[in-house]
Amino acid sequence: MSVGAIELEIIRHRLETINADAGETLVRVSGSQIASEAGDYNTALMTADGSVVACSKSVVVQSTSLNLVVADILAHYADNPGINEGDQFLTNDPYVGALHQPDVTLVAPIFADGKLIAWSGCTVHEADVGGPVGGGFNQAARSIFDEPLPIAPIKLVEGGRVRADIERDILARSRTPELNALDMLGQIAANNAAATRLLELVERYGADCLSGAMAQLLDGTEAAFRRRLAALPDGRWRDIAFLQHEKREGDDYVPNAIYAVRLTMTKRGDRLELDFSDSDDQAPGAVNSAYPALANFVMAALLVHLCQGMPWVPGAIWRAIDLKSRPGTIIHAEWPAGVAMSTGTSAQAIRNVTTGCIARLLDGSEELAPLAMASSQSTGAGGMSISGLDAQGRPFHTLFLDELTGGSGAAGSRDGADVAGTATSPGAMPSNVETNEAAFPVLYLVRGELADSAGPGRHRGGSGAIWSYRPHGTASAIALNSMAQGLQHPSTLGILGGEPGSASGIAVAESAGAGWDHLVDGRNAPLPLPDVNLAVSARHVMIASSQGGGGLGDPIERDPAAVLDDVEEGLVTVAGALRDYGVVIADGALDEAATRQVRIDRRRERLGAEPLPRDRKRAGQRLSSHFDVADGEIVCAGCGTGICASGGPILASLRSREADVGDRFPLTSLYPGSERFRIRYFYCPGCGTQVDVQVGLAGAPPLETTEALHG
Amino acid sequence: MTIPPFLIGSDTGGTFTDTVIVAGDGSTYVGKALTTHGALMDGVLASIGVACAAMGLPRDQVLRDARLLAHGTTVGLNALLTGSGAKVGLLTTAGFEATLPMARSNKIHGLAEEEITDALKWRKPDLLVPRRRIIGVPERIDSAGAVVVPLDEDAARAAVRRLTDLGVEAIAISLLWSVLNPAHERRLAELVAEEAPGLPVTLSSHIAPRIGEYERTATAVLNAYIAPLVSEYLGNVERALADEGFKGRFLIMTMGGGVQLARTVAGAPIHLLQSGPVGGISAARHLGASLGHDRIIATDVGGTSFDVGLVVDGELPRAQKPRIDRHGLAVPFVDIASIGTGGGSIAHVDPAIGALRVGPESAGSMPGPACYGRGGTRPTVTDAAVVLGHVDRLGGAVTLDREAARRAVATVADQLGMPVEQAAQGIVDVACAQMADLVRRATVQRGHDPRRFMLYAYGGAAPQYVGRYAADLGVAGVVIPRLGPALSAWGAVCSDLTVLAERDLPPRAFALPLGDSEAVLGELEAQARSEFDGLVGTLVVERRVGLRFARQIHRIEVAIPSGRLDEAAIADAEAEFRARYERIVGRGASGSAKAVELVSVGAEARIAVPHTAAPKGQIGGRAEPTGSRDAWFEGGWQKVPTYDLPSLCSGVGVSGPAFLESPQTTLVVHPGMRADLNETGDVVMSPEPENVVIPLRAENGR
Repeated sequence: MSVGAIELEIIRHRLETINADAGETLVRVSGSQIASEAGDYNTALMTADGSVVACSKSVVVQSTSLNLVVADILAHYADNPGINEGDQFLTNDPYVGALHQPDVTLVAPIFADGKLIAWSGCTVHEADVGGPVGGGFNQAARSIFDEPLPIAPIKLVEGGRVRADIERDILARSRTPELNALDMLGQIAANNAAATRLLELVERYGADCLSGAMAQLLDGTEAAFRRRLAALPDGRWRDIAFLQHEKREGDDYVPNAIYAVRLTMTKRGDRLELDFSDSDDQAPGAVNSAYPALANFVMAALLVHLCQGMPWVPGAIWRAIDLKSRPGTIIHAEWPAGVAMSTGTSAQAIRNVTTGCIARLLDGSEELAPLAMASSQSTGAGGMSISGLDAQGRPFHTLFLDELTGGSGAAGSRDGADVAGTATSPGAMPSNVETNEAAFPVLYLVRGELADSAGPGRHRGGSGAIWSYRPHGTASAIALNSMAQGLQHPSTLGILGGEPGSASGIAVAESAGAGWDHLVDGRNAPLPLPDVNLAVSARHVMIASSQGGGGLGDPIERDPAAVLDDVEEGLVTVAGALRDYGVVIADGALDEAATRQVRIDRRRERLGAEPLPRDRKRAGQRLSSHFDVADGEIVCAGCGTGICASGGPILASLRSREADVGDRFPLTSLYPGSERFRIRYFYCPGCGTQVDVQVGLAGAPPLETTEALHG
Repeated sequence: MTIPPFLIGSDTGGTFTDTVIVAGDGSTYVGKALTTHGALMDGVLASIGVACAAMGLPRDQVLRDARLLAHGTTVGLNALLTGSGAKVGLLTTAGFEATLPMARSNKIHGLAEEEITDALKWRKPDLLVPRRRIIGVPERIDSAGAVVVPLDEDAARAAVRRLTDLGVEAIAISLLWSVLNPAHERRLAELVAEEAPGLPVTLSSHIAPRIGEYERTATAVLNAYIAPLVSEYLGNVERALADEGFKGRFLIMTMGGGVQLARTVAGAPIHLLQSGPVGGISAARHLGASLGHDRIIATDVGGTSFDVGLVVDGELPRAQKPRIDRHGLAVPFVDIASIGTGGGSIAHVDPAIGALRVGPESAGSMPGPACYGRGGTRPTVTDAAVVLGHVDRLGGAVTLDREAARRAVATVADQLGMPVEQAAQGIVDVACAQMADLVRRATVQRGHDPRRFMLYAYGGAAPQYVGRYAADLGVAGVVIPRLGPALSAWGAVCSDLTVLAERDLPPRAFALPLGDSEAVLGELEAQARSEFDGLVGTLVVERRVGLRFARQIHRIEVAIPSGRLDEAAIADAEAEFRARYERIVGRGASGSAKAVELVSVGAEARIAVPHTAAPKGQIGGRAEPTGSRDAWFEGGWQKVPTYDLPSLCSGVGVSGPAFLESPQTTLVVHPGMRADLNETGDVVMSPEPENVVIPLRAENGR
């Protein structure tokens, strides 16, 4: 049934309200710290076949593909055990639809007059869901059997009544059953609230009108998304991201091996293809993503980075994209590979490469280039679950989520937000220090912004943060189960010549000191990589830092006044201003003449020659903000220097400089394995403008990131 | 009869400053004047003057005979929203200087819905103190209140000198765990007094003794930020009033829901942010008490926003996570939900999905809606109401340009391929649906069923739209208060004098012995009482405990008896907690095995302002239309009678469609609805009983 423009808007707004209400109900009823204070939950409304039409904005990745859970239930349970009014199904199975086992999902079918008309669903991250290691993150897992064993969809609520046997079985697995029980109550209440409100809507407008409105929301959003794609130039973009984890070789397990996640994204007309097939084979455990995590993180990145100003209707976006992957890879693992740490590891790599390719896609259009955004904080090594004994000797397990303090990526029109967390979890927030100290035996020594952590660029990324704590009021050591990523190289890359944000950091040290300097200066011994045995005793402190966001554009083109402001605000050091931005600050004041000179010299150094003036008017067809295609040749948009023939290898044709991976963030070089990576800076051979910065393996050729497709 | 003593309520809003004067016999007089931005006091005095003129008395005579003047003001909020507050310096625990700028990573909370789905709009809350004026001082207290690192006094003095060198005008001090042990904060304040005598200081442990350093710090900083402007303003008003002979109490409406002495508020001005909206809800509570309504949804439609507050069992619920201008706060704050939908919201066709959307863009007051004839060309909700003939006056000096309204709405109608009237109706319907959705969020989300509530509608534009936005909610009834256009001013005058002293404690089992918490309660009670020294009236003091289930975040405040607590009092309080928990969360949710924790204590001291009930209006008579005009309802034009609202007598009823008009507003009575005037002149709207023959219209409409 066709719904008018007025009813459509009224119903759309109500669906958003109902979905947000369900989330608030979840929080209110649960009251648990992770859901209520940190906001690590999400809710969604779906059509009868599971297409997501409304998703809340807290941790977007938790619900954008709940369609997979619903599809699984529809496929397997229609007859046995049946899908009936008042039923609710629970699952935390990453091979069905969850991101990883700690994310517990509950979906409920909604019936009107006996007919299935919609589904509601919600997900909460639990402090513990059982398995060999508290918190569920087991770095040493060599299959899913060394992790919390997932629960395939199971009918927890039957005809409106909680199945007591099933509830008991689920809670019996957890080390934190009372918290899980609270969240379970909250989730049931959330689905009940959604159903009640949706049925009120049905009563007012009729089931056909509601279904019609949902269909139009899907169709309309799909059409809008396709229009946006059609307005962008056709092309192919590539990006790569790295992970480190043990690898199986024959009967041996090699520690600290490298896994690459590779994306080739192709846009033709109004369709987008994302092909992850070239990604490396799966790891034995922990760091893999199963298909649902791949789908969720791709979708969340698309919503955030390509659907600005559109309704967030994931079910519509799925119709316009082709997601390709190869089973058995680290981003599409096959059972029984372990996946419990996916969200902080390979899933972040998925998001990063998707973000990078979308940014370049947008940059191809002069009109939409301001929307291009570099990568924001990935969960790095500071993302961890912690376990120990409190003063009374009782065990505790929790997440502090201090890691949600990384920087946002710079955009075509602005700097990234400082200490803003990851892009695909917009609403999640770290707790207060006092909240953590009140509940757990720790004493924080530092929690603050980390100077020089922001990825330099014409627009800089957001700053990351550093924090440290030590056990306090307990004699026992505290175990730290770190995600252990982003230590050996930066992971939040810049775009269009912007530089990466600082890499991640984690260490157990004698004292907190101020920042990382005391650990870096004059130290020759490497820092140990966090493993399953990492712990902090009462005599030591744990220090960690989150990543800065990636920058956008050449940092020596940044407004010197903005750099001075950052220095005065303590976000950039005086040394950092000179090193990263070519800005000279003496006695607290900007030296404009010296800055001009340094910046000219910087271009000269890049080229080993006199730079050409950047005074060319753009001509030909725009390829990116840096290059045009004119007369079959790719030329610099600033100085007009010819780079290569159209279709040729751009990056290989540029001036470049290769640096130690610690060039950006000195701490990085202290981690074993970092010597395998390099940072490469690419410059226009005419004017010396920095047009790309890549992190890659030593000895590997540059990754050609942008390829125009004509005709 | 204009007999003294007089009670004066005055509220400064965005456009108008309203005054309500209650005379000794309970009769009320309203005054309205334009808000004078930049010199708010002028508007206050002017509106008092207008109300006095309505009484037929000179202003100085009324002020001389006034017992009190209760004031709601935007002076603090304006300072915040325009960035014109003081140059603040912040002293905090070394290592945690970034607590305020980090703002717990908030990048979307407090943004409009449309901004949340646009990553380019994500941003941190505005920083009230730049990092260069935030200095960490070596010291540390732990979660038990024990000193881990003693205060480094030399460093502290140096920090204060550095801040004075930077020219700060006020200092906020917020240290970790100062809630449990304020010794370091207090010592720092002494050092500031020595190093920079006379510089105003805000202590977080004083202004917001709550666990959670970000919100506590933001509160202290915000307080310091607005303090100089607020105290200057309050001082000026007090002097101006005194010059005219005012000798009564000068009271300020607080966002906690009561009024306080102006001198108290000058020391903690954070409490007067948002005093206007809270005044409206307080008035709804007061009116509700006389009408027998103790569950009320209070709705206020303005030009740029729609606010919803609740009265639940006669109380004003407090916000769990209050924010103002996106800053998290840790002070008592009556829960108000708000969206940017109002008369000025602009309608457009969504380019993505073709839906007719309203807002979030607003025409504001300049150029304003197209019908203002000031050059606005985009269709607003007010324009739609004009096209439909629902409004034909705008109040004040604004003349109405109907053609401009029609042209503006036609732009949307053309895009949608529908007649202008239908598009206008659509704009009103979509705006009202958004308002209804906010009411749903404000009630359902907080565990309440709107069907058990009366809905009150006030503010200039609410009577135009309430018939629409209340229709689908299933509320028990709709009341449009007689004083609706000036309700916040009346709310100030009918609120109790209230002082609340509260403090968080480290969570502990709620069982005897309660250790130091009883001593703390005693301290807080003495603190609350001291505010009322020398005041006449019956002082009521209530002690409270904040309780929660172990491992949960949300707390519920429960009243307890004074004096030493025994087993029975503890059991009673726990039972009350469990009952209220179940009311919010759901029956059976408070399993008896769950342990209850004590997390805060507080004392509230209150003196009721004596009130004479409003005199009953003249009863009886018939409602005679004063005229009629063409208006669009239910898909067609019809002739609709208009009535002069101020001259309608209590007890009369009018069936829809009809317009009840006053100089300030137009009440739209939709077909199928009726409006009845109660004894105090408030309008009660309800569905027309189907079996009643609709009177009046046919004979009087033409």
